[in-house]
Order: sequence, then structure tokens, then C-alpha cells
Amino acid sequence: MDFKTFLQEFKKITDYDFCDYSENSISRRLQKICDETKMTFEEILRRCVTDRPFMGRVVEDITVNTTELFRDPQVWVSLFNTLYKSLPKTTVTFWHIGCSVGLEVYSNLIMLSELNMLDKCRIIGTDINPRVLSVAKKGEYAYSFNKYFEDNFNAVMRGIGSKSKFSDYFDIDEKKDQIKIKPPLLGKPRFICHNLVMGQSPFAYRVDVVFFRNVMIYFNDALQRKIMAMVYSKMYDNSFLILGKREDLPKSLKSKFISNNIFFQKAN
Amino acid sequence: MSDYKAIVIGGSAGSFALVLKLLSRLSPSFDIPIIICMHRLKHIRSGLVESLNVKSKIKVVEPNDKERIEKGKAYLAPSNYHMFIEFDGTISLSIEDMNNHSRPSIDYTLSSASVAFRDRCVGIILTGANKDGAKGIKDIADKKGFTIVQDPATAEVDTMPKSALRVMKPNLILSPDGIIDFLNNLK
Repeated sequence: MDFKTFLQEFKKITDYDFCDYSENSISRRLQKICDETKMTFEEILRRCVTDRPFMGRVVEDITVNTTELFRDPQVWVSLFNTLYKSLPKTTVTFWHIGCSVGLEVYSNLIMLSELNMLDKCRIIGTDINPRVLSVAKKGEYAYSFNKYFEDNFNAVMRGIGSKSKFSDYFDIDEKKDQIKIKPPLLGKPRFICHNLVMGQSPFAYRVDVVFFRNVMIYFNDALQRKIMAMVYSKMYDNSFLILGKREDLPKSLKSKFISNNIFFQKAN
Repeated sequence: MSDYKAIVIGGSAGSFALVLKLLSRLSPSFDIPIIICMHRLKHIRSGLVESLNVKSKIKVVEPNDKERIEKGKAYLAPSNYHMFIEFDGTISLSIEDMNNHSRPSIDYTLSSASVAFRDRCVGIILTGANKDGAKGIKDIADKKGFTIVQDPATAEVDTMPKSALRVMKPNLILSPDGIIDFLNNLK
């Protein structure tokens, strides 16, 4: 059985549709699952039918869960000086699509806290994977493995002229080798399990800012267009969209946004 | 016209100066796409492509996801992304886990090129302090692509070329000047 057949069968038995993922990345991830479980595609499918937790782990291993605090610090500094300073004066709604364990959500919250804007913001993080969302809710992360988070944090604070320290936002427990995001940031965002591929929106309201960084890279053109159309419909005129540093809009949507190299703004 | 669809180059410690030299001495009419995956230090994440473009004879870009590979251009794996070649001749990116402690991973770029281009691909491993790239260049050799490993005696750090030589036998083992001559005589 080749990986494409596997994905079609997987979709039939689980409702998870990975058929339109970019081939290189998904085929290699599937190979890795076969190597690690020492199972064939046929065996994995058979077990998924009866063993839901196993199926959950396969979904987790197929999807990419990498996220970091203040990935690309200079991007955050630019956002601070541009996007954050031109947000509407009323309640601002943020949507982090594919938020994984929530580190970008908390990066955004730190920016908002620096601007004293936390109270007037609504923040939603969505992801396909319930396990990473439970980590996001707890706001707990390994410490020594992620030391560079602190470097990114310091680079951003320097860039925006803030004196805030890492320990203002995180409790650091060296014995447990753990950092934990502090209140009031902890508990502020709402995390929702949502399968983007279905093309439906996970909530009824519209959003002012969409963080959608390095998620679309895993989808092929057709799926990108379908999902972007849904995201577009959730944005107000002038709402902001932030993609990964090396991502671009599908061609069909380019004329509908104004771009400045750091973010896209929906044209009215 | 060359038979090759792409030159795929991997390197780590010491490879920046070498890639710069190589690009600056290419014939300006060199039109086979060059795909470069270099490890970079965490604190030097930007400015690399700009520095290469100052001296390169062909245009160097950090590609966006899904960008089509074009003749006469060099593509540099963007910092903190893995870079893959897809069957349809486009580049795809990923931020998944590091491979051999590296993102970008040279193995990922080279292996994907071996699948996409098969025997119509030249793979080159340069100086570096890591074994990343050894599996990738072996994959290119296994698909009958043309393989070159920098002569470890000429490498600033020889771990990467030596790791490659342990798992495969390249068509050529060359000095930096030898690699430049090889490329300029490919037509």
C-alpha cells in the first residue's frame, strides 16, 4: 500500500483527512511512524479501527507541532511598531490557527501586556490535536531544552525598548526543569480543538488579527485555497493576517490583501 | 544543454566562505538551478542571502513555500526551515523537528532532491562539523545521481565530508577549485 492509499483509507475510518497535505513532508512522517511502530500501513489501519488512543497518537505524529516563543524576534519587533499600534480601539479578537502548544499565543499576550491591552482583547487558539491544546492550557514547558526562548524574549524586549524580564512572565523551576506562564496571561486565551481541513469555522464571530504562521506550508494548493477562503470570510475589512516568514498568499487572494512584507491587511 | 536539473549542495561549519567563492566564480551563463542547504548559527539568522548576492554571478534567493525552481538561480534554505524539493519542481518548507540537531537539515533537502530528480541531479557535500548530509548524498548516489564530496584534506572541518565518505562512494572527491571547475564545465 502506498502512502496516498493509506491516507484515503485513514480518512474513511477516522474522519481525519490528510489527503491534501504536501507530499514530501507527510510521506516522510508516515515512514517515521512505520519505522517507530514497526508496523505496515495495513497494520496501522487495522489497529486504528479498534484502538482510538492509538489512532490519536498517529494523528499527533502526522501533524507538525513545532512552535517557539517569539519565533523570528525581528518580526515581532516590527509587528509591535506597526500592527499593534494600529489595532482598533474597541475589543480586539485574535485567532491563532494551528497554535500547537500555545507559545505563539503567549508571545502575542506578552506583546499585549506590554501595551496594557490585555483587558480589551479576546484570544483564541485552535489546533487539530487535543493533546497539544492541553499543554497550551497549562502553559508549562521544558526549561533547559528551550533556553533559546529566553534569548528570543530578550531580543524582542530590547527591540521594543522594554525593561521587562523573562521572569515577569514565566515562573522558572530549575529543579523540575520547567517554565510556566504566569497569570493573568495564563487562563486568558481560549483553546479550541478544530480540524481546519473540514473548511468550517470554529466560532461565529469575526476576527481582527489572524496568526497563521507556518501552517499552510503543509497543505497543497487546492487545500490552501479552500482554507484561506474560510479564513478570509472570518476577517473584517482591514483585519490583519500574519503568515510565516517564507509563506505567501495563494495567487487567487493576492489582490484582496495589501502586503508590507511583515503582514497582510484585508483590502476593503 | 546539461542533463542535470539541479545542483544540490550541503555544508555546515566553514561552508559559507566556500559557497560564496563558488558562486562568485561561476560562469554568469550558468543556468542549472543550484539548491543550497547550509547550517547557520542561531544568532546569525539573517543577512546571509544578501551577502551571497553581493558576489554571486547568479541570483540567490531564500525561497517561499511552493516557489517554482527556475533556471539561472540559486536557492538557499531559509533559516529555521527545512527545505524540500517536490515532484512538480517546486520547493516546499517545513518547521518540523530538527534532524541531526539541524533545521534546515541537509539530509532532508538532498533526499527529497534524489526522489524528485533521480539520476538528473548533482549532489555536493562540503566542509562541516556534523554528519547531516551523509544519508542525503547516499540517497542521490543510490538513485544514480552524480555525487561529489569535498576532499576532507581541504575542508575547514572534515566531519561532514568524512561522514559522507563512510557511507557512500562518490563519483569524485574534489578540492574547492576542482568543484568550481567541474561546475563550469558541466555543459
